[in-house]
Amino acid sequence: MTAVVLRIKSIQYRLRLLEYIKKAGAGHTGGSLSCVDILNVLYNRVLNVSPENFADSRRDRYIQSKGHSVEALYVVLADKGFFPESDLETLCRFRSPYVGHPTRKIRGIEQNTGALGHGLAFSVGVALAGKKDNADYRVYTLLGDGELAEGSNWESMLTAAHYHLDNLTAIVDRNQLQISGHTESVCRLECLTEKFQAFGWSVRSVDGHDVTALADVLGSIPFEVGKPSMVIARTIKGKDVSFMEHDAKWHHGVPSDEQYERARRELETLLMEAGA
Amino acid sequence: MTQTGNTRIAFIETLTEIAAQDPTAALVCADSILVVKGQAFAQKYPERFVDVGIAEQNAVACAAGMASCGLVPFVATYAGFITMRACEQVRTFVAYPHLNVKLIGANGGISAGEREGVTHQFFEDLGIVRTIAGITVVVPADEAQVRHATRAIHKTPGPAYMRIGSGRDPLVDCEDVPFELGKVRVLADHGNDVVLFANGFVVNRALAAADVLSRQGVHPTVVDVHTLKPLDREAIVDLLRQTGAAVTVEDHNIIGGLGSAIAELSAEACPTPVMRIGLRDTYPRSGEPGPLLDYYHIGVADIVEAAKRAMQMRDRKVR
Repeated sequence: MTAVVLRIKSIQYRLRLLEYIKKAGAGHTGGSLSCVDILNVLYNRVLNVSPENFADSRRDRYIQSKGHSVEALYVVLADKGFFPESDLETLCRFRSPYVGHPTRKIRGIEQNTGALGHGLAFSVGVALAGKKDNADYRVYTLLGDGELAEGSNWESMLTAAHYHLDNLTAIVDRNQLQISGHTESVCRLECLTEKFQAFGWSVRSVDGHDVTALADVLGSIPFEVGKPSMVIARTIKGKDVSFMEHDAKWHHGVPSDEQYERARRELETLLMEAGA
Repeated sequence: MTQTGNTRIAFIETLTEIAAQDPTAALVCADSILVVKGQAFAQKYPERFVDVGIAEQNAVACAAGMASCGLVPFVATYAGFITMRACEQVRTFVAYPHLNVKLIGANGGISAGEREGVTHQFFEDLGIVRTIAGITVVVPADEAQVRHATRAIHKTPGPAYMRIGSGRDPLVDCEDVPFELGKVRVLADHGNDVVLFANGFVVNRALAAADVLSRQGVHPTVVDVHTLKPLDREAIVDLLRQTGAAVTVEDHNIIGGLGSAIAELSAEACPTPVMRIGLRDTYPRSGEPGPLLDYYHIGVADIVEAAKRAMQMRDRKVR
């Protein structure tokens, strides 16, 4: 899939996730918009996972630790054919399995997540099992930057490095915003690169909206044999919707009718500019 | 002098036997290999041993990940560090997705914290895990029962929590009564005057109390409720009906454990006086298990007294 096609897909994913958040009247809008390009590149360029091989123990595993951005995951999984996209019309409705955080009830989702700080530990277990079984699948997990304050992440980082889990990749959606505001004012994270390196990980930083750069970085894993890989993806919360970008209030804001129309028009303009 | 066995060794020896048959069985420790005497297991099956260091949340969540790939991890460390420190991991990442993780909690009860104090005495573990949906909770009576229980939870797919003790755990002469997960064991049937429900490493005390009562002309039945969840409701209600008076005996806070489980069932299905013997919602001292249990009214005399009180309540219809 070419960079142009990927770019178009990203915008289409953004349009769809906004549509379903608007219909549901709920959702984590800003964080879903920020991680779309990462999910796009993972599912369309990197992961060996599909509806056809989802029961195969040799499939790659993707675990979304920042589970609140499930709307982005839903639209990507629907696009990959894990379930009909029309299912998402039921998002957050009574009895719908499509709830506001990932659950294994949805085909394509590996693990219930969303209580923050747990996805990495679970992924370490999956990667350990792969090493112990001599399986060659790879494990990818997406972390929010805000959830790095959870100490459980750092426990897991120790374990991953100790067991040389070079089949494990963690990607940080580094949009620098969490619900209360800027990550560096809520609880300072920097210098993240040095911290991850000190914990024994091989670290690369990338523009998290540049699909070509993302594909290059995620295609060169492991960065070092014998070490887990950490990708710091520099992103923008609310990406591609001008009035949502860089604004923490869109963490789980739902656009008004007027805002939704404006967002849709902006994204459709981007779609045309991208050559769709 | 109470004869003791070692439930920690009983667990690890059984797991090692299981591992010889089942290549998916694994041991996950949180710097707790010495707690469960797991050195021989780790040497024999290094590829199925994981130690994550002193990081119980990590241990439980890693085990969940391993289970999602088909392994059957047994996470073994102190009871409170699994059920309190890693409570959310147990609930959301093991029980909710119904992953095949076995949780083995050592130092269950106040008597296990002989030298260590409240930080290492765990008398809330059963109350905590009992409120989590979809998890089997087993409280074996002694080392022989731990062997049966370990095999039973291994054979039964899904999450399970099993209590083990300090390694100086009283022996109970009850091997002739078979162990079946989810079914109570009637250990002594002197008659239908009163039923003593017990579990864990104080079952020996319930049996001793039954002997005392028998000599005094009271005829109790002693029942081992080793599976706290799912509870053997049918058998327990039958026993409540037959006797009309009950005592529960546990090394746990009287809130949340066996006493609560029996009282809840009684209230719903067969209202019966139920006297609860256990730690009375306080933080205990440390010391030798025998005197410690006696001090906190988990003694043989306390059980005898409670049995008589339950019968009085039944006979006088005290409300």
